Formats: sequence, C-alpha cells, structure tokens
Amino acid sequence: MSDEIFGEIDFPRYQRWLNRSAGSEVALMVFNKAGVTLWGEDTAQAAKIGLAIVAAGTEAAGLHRHDVDAGKTALYQSLGAANDGQLGWLAVVADHFAEHQTPVLIDQLADAMEDIVAGIADERRDKNDLVMMTDELGQRYEELHLVYAMDEHIKRSEGENHKIFQSLLQSAAEHLNVDVVAFVQPARDVCQYATSLSQEIHNLDLVLVEMRGDLYRFLQVSAETINLNAADDPRRAYIFTDMPYKILACPVVTDKKIESMIVLLNHQHKPDFTNGDRKLAEVLANQLSGMSNTYLLMQSMAEFNRQMARTLIEAVEAKDPYTRGHSERVHYLSMEIGRAMGLPADDLENLHWGSLLHDVGKIGIPDAVLCKPSRLTKDEYTFIKVHPERSYDILRHIRHLDKAVLGARHHQEMYDGTGYPHGLKGEHIPLHGRIIAVPDTYDSITSSRAYRAGRSHEVAMAEIERVSGSQLDPVIVDVFKKIVATEPAWLDLFKIRRDKA
Amino acid sequence: MKRILIVDDEPHITRVLKLYLGRAGYAVDTAENGQAGLEAITKNAPDVLFADIQMPVMTGKQLCFALEEQYPERTFPVFVMTSMMDREHREWTQKISNLQFLEKPLSMRAMTHALDKYFDAAIVAEGAGNV
Repeated sequence: MSDEIFGEIDFPRYQRWLNRSAGSEVALMVFNKAGVTLWGEDTAQAAKIGLAIVAAGTEAAGLHRHDVDAGKTALYQSLGAANDGQLGWLAVVADHFAEHQTPVLIDQLADAMEDIVAGIADERRDKNDLVMMTDELGQRYEELHLVYAMDEHIKRSEGENHKIFQSLLQSAAEHLNVDVVAFVQPARDVCQYATSLSQEIHNLDLVLVEMRGDLYRFLQVSAETINLNAADDPRRAYIFTDMPYKILACPVVTDKKIESMIVLLNHQHKPDFTNGDRKLAEVLANQLSGMSNTYLLMQSMAEFNRQMARTLIEAVEAKDPYTRGHSERVHYLSMEIGRAMGLPADDLENLHWGSLLHDVGKIGIPDAVLCKPSRLTKDEYTFIKVHPERSYDILRHIRHLDKAVLGARHHQEMYDGTGYPHGLKGEHIPLHGRIIAVPDTYDSITSSRAYRAGRSHEVAMAEIERVSGSQLDPVIVDVFKKIVATEPAWLDLFKIRRDKA
Repeated sequence: MKRILIVDDEPHITRVLKLYLGRAGYAVDTAENGQAGLEAITKNAPDVLFADIQMPVMTGKQLCFALEEQYPERTFPVFVMTSMMDREHREWTQKISNLQFLEKPLSMRAMTHALDKYFDAAIVAEGAGNV
C-alpha cells in the first residue's frame, strides 16, 4: 500500500532537478521503508545503501550521512512518515564525495534534497487527495444514479401511488443487488418489500416478522444504522437469532423520532455491506419515507374528502328520509356505466364526485315540497327544478370538483332538450349528466317514495326503454341494458324488486 | 487482464472510471475524443469500449458509425454512456451492433455488474465453442 502512493510520482523530473542544482550528474535513489529500491538504478551498491539506511534506524527528519566503502558517501533523507511508520527514503551517492566536495556543494546538495523531499511529499499528497476525491466522486455518482433512477421511475410510472412505491423498491433491490429490500413503518402497519434473490429464502415470512419486531425495536433504541455482517456477531443474541443473513438496517429520522426504517438483507455468500451501501441505503430511506409520507397524506386527504361528501349527502337525506341511499345507488350505477364505457381514470374521478353529489342542491328545496306525499303543483315543481343548479352553486366553491359539477348540474337535462336547468339537447348535454340521468331514473322508479312503494326492475327497464332517445341518451341506455343483462350482484344488494317471469 | 478503452472528454468521468475499473482488475486506457479513440482501437483493439456521446472533434455517435464501417467484424462490445434523462439516442444506437447503455450519472455497481455479466456470458460462449 505505501509503495503504491509513490507509483505515480514523476521521479525522472526530480532527477533532472537534482542534476541542475548540483551542476553535475548525481544519481537519485528512492527506497521504500524496507530499503528496497523503488526508483533509480537497482545496483548491488544501491541495495547495500538501502539496507544500511534501514539498519541505521534514523527516525529524525533532515539530512543524514552514511559512508559507503571505497570513499563514497551517501546522503539520505526520510520521505516522511505515515500511520504505519516510514514511507521510504531518498538518497544520493557521489563518487569520492568525502575527498574533494566542498562544504558549499554539500550544502547545495542538502538544499536540493530538502526541496525534492518536500516536492515529492506535496505531489504524493495531491495524488492521494485526487484518488480520494475520485473515489468520493464515484460514490456520489452512485447516489445520484440511484436518485435519478428513482426520479425517472416515478415520472414514467403510471397508476397508483402504492404501485409506484412497490416498483421503486423492486428497482432498488435490483440496483443495489441485494436479496431483500424492505421499508418498515410499524406504527402505520407498513411493511413493504421487494426481492432480487440470489438464493431462495425459505422463511421470508419469519424474516419480515423479525424485521418489524425485534430489529425495529433494537433500532429505535440504538437510533443508528445497524450493519450486521458476521454470522457470529454478538448482537445476534437479540436480533436475527438463527437467521444468519447479512443485515443493513437504516432508520429514517423525522423530528428527532424514528418513524420507519429501510432494511437491506443478503445471504451470507454475498459480500459484506459496506459504508457505501450504508450511504445508498440512507438515500433510499429518505426518498421512500418522503414518498410514504406523501402517500399517507394523500390517503388522509382522500379520506377527508369522502367524509365531507358523506356529510353533504347526510344533510340532504336528513331532509328527505325516503331518498336515503339514493345518492350512493346512483353513484354506484353511474360508475358501472362509466367503467363499461371505458372512461379514463381522471374522468371516472369526476364522475365519482358528480354522481355522488348530484342531489346536494335538494338542500335548498323547502321540506313541504320535497317531502310532499301528493302530486306537486306547478309552482312546487318549479322549486324542484331549481335543485341541479343549486347543486352547482354549492359545489362550485370546491375547485377540485370543477369538472365534476357538470354532471350534477345537468343530470336533469333531457335528450330531446325538454329538461332543466338549461334545456340542453343531445350531445350538448355534458356526458356525465347523460350518464347520471339513467341510474337516477332507474332508482327513482325502483325505490320507495313518500307516496308509493318502489316498483320492479322490469318496470324500470321498460320505462327507461320507452324514454330512450327522448329523455335519455340511447347510447347510455344501451350500455346500462348490457350491464343489467349480466344480472349483476347489485340487483340483490340494493334489494330491487323483481317481477316473476 | 482484460483491457478497457474509455473515450470521454470529461476528466472527472475518466478518472472515476479508471480508478474503479482498475480496482476491479481491468487494464484501462483513455482517449479524449472519438478520433483519438479510433486511433487507439486501430493500434490495439480493446476487450470493451466505453464511449461518451458528446465530445469535440469526433462524437461518440460518429465513432460508433466509423467502427461499424471500418470494423464490421468487431467483436468487442461498446458501452455508450448516455444521460438517463434523454431518450433521443435510443434510435440510432439500434443500428450499432453489440451495444449497451450505461446511464449517467454512472453507477459503478451497475457498470461492474454489466461487465461481469458480459465477460461471464463471453466465457460461457467460448466454452460452448470448445465443445
């Protein structure tokens, strides 16, 4: 190792330097700490000088002198020391040195050697720094590669968040070439993992239990990354007992609390986990925990939205108990139609909210009208006709629903243009309005009202068939007919009355 | 010892590659553009070529096409180093035989993994030939 650090030193340059300073050819000799020639003529004399220098055992800096036989003298100086002792020696030998060299020339040589030693030390340090920086740079590339790869992965993947999360774990397992990668967050009951197995793990279930149990508890107390390589590591008395896998477990710290961890697991035959693995695991841990938190936040927002919607629907149903369940049923059937029509995901999302909240405007209809058990007067009916626009007025404040409100606003339009609130005709009626109108009609016939019991499925379908093309969009009626022809489970679920054939 | 030629004009990349490939037991030569790379290949063909794309004098793309033309019998693979972000090179690289991608920022793990896989496969192929 210590010899290597001289490997790239430009010794010929120092030789020229020395010749110029001395005014004559003076052979430069470089020895390693054992006195073996590293550079310069590898003669018997040089070997002898090398051994003599080591034998002298001089520790001090500065120029030292060793008289060689036949009147030759070697001047030598240490090339510096490292943790494990001497690095090596620099020496020159001059013929008949002692006899005719003047003290001035000795001083000159001494100065030149001083400079050369300092020059070599600087160069060695620079080269050493360069190797370290290059090494570090390589590791940074590695981290960047992982982060970019994850970023690309997220950008290119479509679909739900938890699927992206899973595929990220998968690509991490492959990239890091580890048997198992797991993200563990026991408080939220999360333990997701991916494998890139070099060999079968027959007890993977037990391994996962161990991770979210003892390993996680150990990590919470120690609060630092655990690198468990050796099979006889004493910590295996507490964690991963009888499971001789190599483990790298890395906590994710948020607000000084450990809330999750990343675990990398390898079979024993794989190389030990290194510091580099540890840094990569930490990068991965931070990315995944960020994603996990975003995902959970989105889940809780979605939950909040559902609850808000539920609250609005309860408010409507509180006014008119007979419409209980109507919004949910219309929503359910609208989604069936939307899916059967192959609407894209974002469109389905809008249909979801539009159909669920289509009757919210009924909040604005006086109870006396809404719950009247007998036939409505013309004026009363006018009140009823206000409700889709009222739904729109209420929902338009929610920007997230701006595309969803169209379905709610126009679900009472009729295909021939005789509906309300805007009297739109045919294709001018927003698609979601045309969709919602069909199950709305169906449910109003099949469900019980204040003034009559619900009628049968067959009656409802006959009525829908009759008004197809006048009140309802025939294309959507056809889709709905195809759905009911399969005798779907919701016919029982919604307790729809059936006529005996 | 397997010889790898790196053709890249960015010294920070070649330094890192040289260090890690050296540690992995490969002999590494470097050239700073496609032209110099082509000359080095003419003198002594490597076992594997690593080539950047954006380079002065002669780009990696030009180098690849020059290789296709001048050495149709070439057996050593070309690993093209390209940014993960741009997909524009996916098209022309299909015309080059025996070509693989290394995505920048480079992963030394991915790189050594790709090399191991290549040489393992090459050994298997050689072995099969001997039977």
